[in-house]
Amino acid sequence: MSASAKEQFELWKRETEEKLKRFPERKDKFVTSSEIELDRLYLPEDPDDSYLEKLGFPGQYPYTRGVQPTMYRGRFWTMRQYAGFGSAEETNKRFRYLLDQGQTGLSVAFDLPTQIGYDSDDPMSAGEVGKVGVAIDSLEDMEILLEGIPLDKVSTSMTINAPAAVLLAMYIAVGEKQQIPSQQLAGTIQNDILKEYIARGTYIFPPKPSMRLITDIFAYCSKHVPKWNTISISGYHMREAGSNAVQEVAFTLANAISYVQAAIDAGLDVDDFAPQLSFFFNGHNHFFEEIAKFRAARRLWARIMKERFGAKKPKSMQFRVHTQTGGSTLTAQQPDNNIVRVAIQALAAVLGGTQSLHTNSRDEALALPTEESARIALRTQQIIAHETGVADTVDPLAGSYFVEHLTDQIEYRVLEYLDKIEKMGGAVAAVEQGYMQREIHQQAYETQKAIESGEEVIVGLNKFKIEEENRPEILRVDPALEQKQVEKLQDLRRRRDQEKVNTTLTRLKEAAQTDENLMPYILESVKAYATVGEICGVLREVFGEYRAV
Amino acid sequence: MKKQKIRVLVAKPGLDGHDRGALVIAQGLRDQGMEVVYTGLRQTPAQIVAAAIQEDVDCIGLSCLSGAHNQLFPEVVRLLKEEGAEDILVVGGGVIPAEDIPFLEEKGIARIFTSGTSIEETARFIRDHVKKKLNDGNGANSLQTPQKIDHIGIAVKSIDEALPFYRDALGLRVQGFDSVSSEQVRVAFIEIGDTRIELLEPTDPNSPIARFIEKRGEGIHHIAYRVEDINQKMEEVKKQGYSLINEKAKPGAHGSIIAFIHPRSTAGVLTELCQPGDVSDGGGKYDE
Repeated sequence: MSASAKEQFELWKRETEEKLKRFPERKDKFVTSSEIELDRLYLPEDPDDSYLEKLGFPGQYPYTRGVQPTMYRGRFWTMRQYAGFGSAEETNKRFRYLLDQGQTGLSVAFDLPTQIGYDSDDPMSAGEVGKVGVAIDSLEDMEILLEGIPLDKVSTSMTINAPAAVLLAMYIAVGEKQQIPSQQLAGTIQNDILKEYIARGTYIFPPKPSMRLITDIFAYCSKHVPKWNTISISGYHMREAGSNAVQEVAFTLANAISYVQAAIDAGLDVDDFAPQLSFFFNGHNHFFEEIAKFRAARRLWARIMKERFGAKKPKSMQFRVHTQTGGSTLTAQQPDNNIVRVAIQALAAVLGGTQSLHTNSRDEALALPTEESARIALRTQQIIAHETGVADTVDPLAGSYFVEHLTDQIEYRVLEYLDKIEKMGGAVAAVEQGYMQREIHQQAYETQKAIESGEEVIVGLNKFKIEEENRPEILRVDPALEQKQVEKLQDLRRRRDQEKVNTTLTRLKEAAQTDENLMPYILESVKAYATVGEICGVLREVFGEYRAV
Repeated sequence: MKKQKIRVLVAKPGLDGHDRGALVIAQGLRDQGMEVVYTGLRQTPAQIVAAAIQEDVDCIGLSCLSGAHNQLFPEVVRLLKEEGAEDILVVGGGVIPAEDIPFLEEKGIARIFTSGTSIEETARFIRDHVKKKLNDGNGANSLQTPQKIDHIGIAVKSIDEALPFYRDALGLRVQGFDSVSSEQVRVAFIEIGDTRIELLEPTDPNSPIARFIEKRGEGIHHIAYRVEDINQKMEEVKKQGYSLINEKAKPGAHGSIIAFIHPRSTAGVLTELCQPGDVSDGGGKYDE
C-alpha cells in the first residue's frame, strides 16, 4: 500500500470507529448462508495512488465508493414511495398506510395546478385537479395533508419546483402549529427549475427570477431550516424524456453547476449552502451502466465542488442521491412483468449506493398505482434490503474491471458534454437555446425507431407478446373531487381575514420588485391563508411567465 | 393552397408536461410524409381547436398523461363541432386506461393509441381515416374520379391561323366551330382519340381569353375533366380546400354542365369540370 493510501485507510478506519460509536451497524457481524463472514470493505491487494485518486475509501473524497463510511451496514437507504392523489384527506390516509407498512420517509406528489401555481378554481385547472397528485390550495389543505404525522420524526420530500418556496413555507407553518421549530424539519423540495424547462414542463417564471427564488431558498434554509435539502437536482425526468445515462449525468451536473454559481453570485458562501444540495437519478435498464453511473457522478461532483468552487466541507462535495426506477421502461402490456423490471433497476441503484429509493408500481403505465401495487413496489425494496445480502458490504462491485471501465467511460463522456455546455455559456444559456431539449429528443426518437425495428427488444411489447384478457384493477380519482375542492377553496376565501391576505400579498409584491429574500414574505402570506394561486399570481405579475423555445 | 400532404396538429391539452410521446409522434409522422404542427405544452381545448382551424389540419392528435383525458379530449371534439370543423379527425394517446376508451370513442375520438403503439400503425390509421372522412362528408363511399380528359383548351389569337397545324400537319378531324356570346369567344373542336382539343379565339378585347393572351401569350388555357356528377365533384374539391371560380355549375357545350377551379389552388392550371349532357351530337349550339 502506498504511503498516502495507508494514511487514507487509517483515516477511514478512525472515521468508521467514530461513526460506530454513535450509529452501530445493523448487525454485530454479517455472514453468508455458508457462514462466510463479510468485511465492511474489500480493497485491492495493494491500494496505490491511482486507486486513491479514482476510488478512495467510502465516505472520503472523491466518494466513488459511497458518501458514508459504512453505507448500508449502518442503515438501509430510505424507502420513500412517491404518493399523492385526490384530496388532502385521501393522501393523508395513504401516507399513514405507507408508514404503517414500514416506509421510512414521505414523498408528496402534488397535482398539476399546484405545481404550476394555479388554484383549483382557475379555468386552467379544469380536469387536472387531484389527478397526478394531491390538490393543495392553501395552508388549510397542508394542515389536513400532514395531520397526525410527526414532522420531527419523518422526513418529507416534496416534488414541487416553480412554487417550491410556497409549499416549503406551508410545511414550516404546519411545523410551527405542531410546535416543531423549523431547525428540526427534515426533507427535500425538488426546486430544480432548469430541468422543468428541459423535460418536465411545470415551469412558471422565466429563468432569471426562477434562479433568484432558488437562491433565496438556499440562503433562507441555510439559516432557518438547516436539515432541509433545498434542491433535488434531477436527471430523472430528462432520462424519462429519452436521454441516455451519460446525458442524464451530464445535464444534471451542468444544471447543478449553474445553481451553485448563481448562489455564489448572489453572495452566498459555497460551504453554507452546498451541504443542502441533493440529487435525483433514474434507475434504468442497463444494469452495469446504471451502477457505474452513480459511482461516476459522485466522483465528478466531488471534483467539481472541490476544484472549481473551492468547497472545503466534505458535505459540500458529497453527491447524495435519491433514485426512482424508470417509469418509461414499464409496459402497459403484461404489466406484472414490470415488477421484475423494477426489482432489477432498484438493485442497480442500491449497488450504485443511492441514499433513498422509490420503486415504481407495476401499473404505472396504466394509471396511478393501486394500494396493492404500491405495496408490492415497497416490498421489492424490502426484499433487496433484507433478503439478498447486497447491503452487507460497502460498494461490492468496486474493482470489477468491467464496472470500473464503465465508470471511467461515463466520467469521460460527461466531461465532454460539460465542456460543450460551458462553451455555450452554461446550462441556463444552453436551455434557452434548446440544446439539451434537442439532444434528448433526438435520443428519444432513436430509441423509438430501435424498438419499432425490433433492434431493441422490450419483452411483451415487441417480442413474446400474448393476447391479454384481464385488465388489472386500477386506481381512479373521484371525478367529483374537483368540484369539492373548488367549494372548499371558495369557503376558505369567505372565512379568512381578507384584509390580512391583501396586506401580505402587497408586501410580497413590493419585495419581489427589490433584491430582498422573498421567503419571509411568502411565509407571511401563507400563514394568512393566501392561496398558491394568489401568491404565484402576484409573482407572475412581477416576473412574467416563461414561454417554451 | 395546395393540399397533397396530410396535415396533423399534435397537441398537449391541459397542464401535463410529458411531451416525449408527442414529440416522437410528431417527428415520426413527419418521417411518414405528413406535415405536422406541434402546439407545445399547456393548451386549452379552445386554443387547440383554434390552431387546428387556422392551420387547416386534417387530423388532431391529442396527448395526455395526467389523467385529465376524459374531460379534455371530448371538449376538443365538442368545440370542433361548435366551430363547424367536425370533419377534422381526432385521435389521442397517453396514459389512458382501457376502460376509458369506449367512453372517449363515443365522444367522437376516432382512436386511442395506448402505450406501445408503433408510429407506422398510427400513421396508417390517420391516412386511412382522413381519406374516409373526406368522402363521408360527401355522402358517398369513395371519391368520384373523372373518367377522362374531356378536352384541352388552347387560347389562340386567330383560329384561322392556328387550325392548319392540327388539321393539315397533324391530320386531325375538325369536329365543328361555335361561338359563346357570354364568354365572347369563338371555338373550334378537334378530335383526338376519344378526347378533343378546343381552340379558343377572343371575339372582344375585354373577354377573359383576350386578357389571358395579353397576360401570358397564346398557349394551353385549361384542362377539362369529364365527371359523372359535377355537383358532387365540386363539393369534394371544395372540401379539400380548392377554390372554385363558379360557385354553381353552369351550362356548357352540347348540353353539358361545367364549372372551373381557380388555377391558384392547382399549381397554375385552370381546371374545368365537365358533366356531359344527354345530347351527344357534335354540331350542337353552345348554350348560354
